[in-house]
Order: sequence, then structure tokens, then C-alpha cells
Amino acid sequence: MKKRTVSIVLAALFVITAAVIAGSGRTSEVPTPPAIGATIDEFSLPDVNGQEHTLKSLKGKNGTVLIFIAVQCPVSNAYNDRMEKLAQDYKDKGIAVIGINANSTEDVATVKAHAAEKHLTFTILKDAGNKVADKLGAARTPEAYFLDANNKLLYHGRIDNSQNQDAIESNDLRQALDSALAGKPVEKPEAKAFGCSIKRA
Amino acid sequence: MRIPRLTLVVAFTVLFIYLTVPGQDTVRTVRRAKSATEPAVPTNVEPINLSGLKDLISKPKDKPLLVNFWATYCDPCRDEFPDLVKVDSDFRPKSLDFVTVSLDDVGDIKTKVPQFLAQMKATMPAYLLDVSDPEPAINAVDPKWQGDLPATFLYNAKGEVVFRAFGRVNTAALREAIEHLVKN
Repeated sequence: MKKRTVSIVLAALFVITAAVIAGSGRTSEVPTPPAIGATIDEFSLPDVNGQEHTLKSLKGKNGTVLIFIAVQCPVSNAYNDRMEKLAQDYKDKGIAVIGINANSTEDVATVKAHAAEKHLTFTILKDAGNKVADKLGAARTPEAYFLDANNKLLYHGRIDNSQNQDAIESNDLRQALDSALAGKPVEKPEAKAFGCSIKRA
Repeated sequence: MRIPRLTLVVAFTVLFIYLTVPGQDTVRTVRRAKSATEPAVPTNVEPINLSGLKDLISKPKDKPLLVNFWATYCDPCRDEFPDLVKVDSDFRPKSLDFVTVSLDDVGDIKTKVPQFLAQMKATMPAYLLDVSDPEPAINAVDPKWQGDLPATFLYNAKGEVVFRAFGRVNTAALREAIEHLVKN
């Protein structure tokens, strides 16, 4: 009887240890982002006040920009003013800007306080279980997705090429929005930059 | 007093799990203390452009190469650095090349970056990526990489990526991958 107990405990120990070691390596496994041209499924997430919103209820008549943002990431913070200006500049053009915080290390109260402090007036959603971050394959902050009026993905990537406003040479996200508004194809539908990894739950 | 065998087994189980989980604070403290005794700390950080980076990762190698992309502003980068310094000191004698590439602003090349490396007692060659557009550099390293930091790549002697980690590296898995390369 005792031998059996010892065997069970040792087996449990092996399984638990293996699971812990395997689990700690999941940082590399961010889902692959949808291809340009793919239609993004409807989703629902709460804002910083706990009010639930669907993509349908927030989207602009000419499209929607989703930006994964962070409270503590200096790269994301370097873009606060640019993201707010983007939201203001395109509001009247029928494009809505929505922030999404998917960092498990930043709770909703912190996200709310940070938005107030940094004067971010666009809607910010809390993606507590990385539901939308996983669906979109979002890896870093800031990382932007531009969807047209039918939720078709037209652009995925950086806001521009440099954290330093004086060194901007390629305003990729704005160019994508302007092309779409002019009825033209987006010339550069994907562009990368360095950013902070999203701290998944 | 006789301690029941089951109690002993459970106690050892807990102790075993505690000691085998990577990144335990106690383990890290021991590593920091040990690395603090290592001498010869370079504080020179070399700028590297796109072609320099491509040469670095694609040139013929006679031994495995580990490359860590990091920045002083990145919390998980700073957090994993003591573990990487330990990896360097353990595996450099076994023929591992290890370089770090900072993504800090080029204006920090003589200040924040070498200061942090000195604080970490880091002895691996240190570069700072000096490019106006980061995208070609990210794609040159790995088209699957979205630019999230930190990022760690292990190349075998043929120049093939055999281990990659985006976000804080699992040190145990990295060490295992290096062990496999330096043995073969």
C-alpha cells in the first residue's frame, strides 16, 4: 500500500515538474497573425470602466484601428501623443481608434489611471485573457491593426519607423489609412518595429 | 519521533519542484553573487548597421552562436540578463560565441547601455543596432519575429537557427539547447 502511494506521488511529481518547465517556455508561442485581407471576427471586451463593447459597436464607418498598448512599456508610452492625435485626426474621417491592453501584469485600474494621466481619450479595452491578442497574433506594444468597414485587415504593424518623433521617415499606419480613405490599395500593408513583448496571462 | 513516510515524500516533492523551476529568486540570487566575482568587464558597445548585423548572423561559423536582442528600457530583458551572463561564463569555454545587440537609442551607446552591462558584469561582445528603419533588421534575423523584446536566437555551426525565444527566455530550455550543440 505504501509503495503504491510513493509511486503515485512520484508520478505526480514528474507530471507537475514537466508541466511547470514546459509552461515556462510558452513565451515563444505567439499565434500567427491573420493574413492581410483576412476578415477579423467580431469580438467583445470590457473597457476600463467594465462596460462591455463589441467591435461592431465601436467601429468607424470607414474602418477601425486597433492598437495594443501598455502602461509600463516605454516604447508604447513614446507613442501616447501620436496615438491620441491619430484618434482625433481620423475621428471626423470615420475611422475609430481603439486601444487594447492585453498585459496580464497591468490591471484595469492601472490602465484607467494611466489613460487619464496620459490624456488618452480613445476607448481602451482590457483583454484580460489575451482572447483578442491571440486571435490577432499580437506580440508587442505598440502594435496596430487597421480594418476596413467590413473588418477586412488592410494593415498590420508599427505606427511609424521610430520611437523618436524627430526621426520619423515612414508614417506607415497613417499612409495605410489615407490610402484606404482615398479608395487606393495600401502600398505597404505590413511593417515591423521593436517593442515590448505582450505579457500574456 | 518517527515521521510518516508519506509526509517525507510530500516534503521532498515540494522541495524538488521548488528547486527545479527555472527563474526562482533564490537561484537567481546565487547566480548574481557568483557572477559578481568575475573580472574583465568590457564597457565598449559597438554600433552595428544592417549589413554588419547580416554579416554577424550569416557569416560562416566554426562554433555555435547565441544572439540576444535587448534594451535597457525593457523589463524582461533586464530581468533575464543575469541568467544570460551565467550562460556566457558557463558555455564560452565550451566553444559558444555569444553577442548581445541593444535596441536602445544610439545616443545611449556611451551611457545607459555600457552602464547596465558593467552592472551585470557582462563580458560578451556588445553591439547597438544603429538603423533608421528597424524592419529590414528584424526580417534579416527572422521573418517570424514581430520585433518584440527580448528575443534570443541560437545558431548552430552551419548558421541555422536551432532555438528561438521571444519574450523572457526559458533559461533551462536554452541551456539544454546549447548543451546539445556543444556536445555535437
